[in-house]
Amino acid sequence: MNYQAIRAVFETPLLTAYNSLSPAVPVYFDNVMNDGADSAEEFVDINIQFGLTTESTLTTSLDMVRGVIVIRTYTPKGRGPARNQTLVNVATTALQTINATPKPPSGVYVRTGSIDGPAFSPDFGGTTPDQQSRRAFTPFFISRIEAGFQAQVIS
Amino acid sequence: MARDIKFLVKDIEEATVRAAQSAAVEIMNGLVKAGPAYTGAFSSAWYAVPTGGTAGGPRSTGRIYKYDKRNVPLVKFKAGNWYRIVNGMPYADEAMDLAPYTPEAFTRRKALKPQITGFREPGSRRGDLQGSGRNTSTAPLDWWPKYNAAGQLQADLARGFRLGFGTAQGFK
Repeated sequence: MNYQAIRAVFETPLLTAYNSLSPAVPVYFDNVMNDGADSAEEFVDINIQFGLTTESTLTTSLDMVRGVIVIRTYTPKGRGPARNQTLVNVATTALQTINATPKPPSGVYVRTGSIDGPAFSPDFGGTTPDQQSRRAFTPFFISRIEAGFQAQVIS
Repeated sequence: MARDIKFLVKDIEEATVRAAQSAAVEIMNGLVKAGPAYTGAFSSAWYAVPTGGTAGGPRSTGRIYKYDKRNVPLVKFKAGNWYRIVNGMPYADEAMDLAPYTPEAFTRRKALKPQITGFREPGSRRGDLQGSGRNTSTAPLDWWPKYNAAGQLQADLARGFRLGFGTAQGFK
């Protein structure tokens, strides 16, 4: 199983898409220190999790893995949702492009499920006064999209 | 002995309800296994509720809760209804990494599940620990979407459905 190649199928186009914006938007992946979060006004955080690696009821292939990608977009709080939604759209477009890529003769073949979101973290939400006051100090307006995926490594 | 065909519809309805009950139990136990457990309150607050229904509070603390069919009475399920499995704790969205974490003081010294430690940026999610620090987490970041969308939910649903369907009259 080539988890690294599967991860690259998602991370490479997303990184390229955000880097090509003007100005480029920082992207942080799993296990990469987010050392710019204190100073950056906006950034994107991408988390990829692998779930079932084998599904013997569906296929005997061991090179079939399921997972989920979660993309969070951070933009300044109190300035409306437009900028955040613009950045979310970059990710959504990249995921749709990945999903539309034909099956290659070798390498990694990925299909995503439906894209869930974006859901926005409430500015002052929360069910207790403690939550509300602490969230009020969170400097970012945060959106979140997620999509399950199934990847096949073709050798 | 063969069962009269006139019972078929009734048998299927009963089997479906039992399958839903069994699947709910499997899914709630799967969520407990995948999710965080510090005091045990969050793990004990999963409920299967009909559309528009509300979840209750924690059933216990001090242990990782184990669900069985008593937590999901058959009378709660009716054929044709939609049900959701939701957590009734007020901080559930934080525990599921859906909202920024708001720190709070725990009275319990030792978590029920193994903890990883690190530094959590103010305003970041519960499971988002980086480097070294004194913040702790008992489940990986985004454990919820992973359970939900990466195959485990479907596996638990299928297992529960198989277990429940076969216990109904006419399908034993």
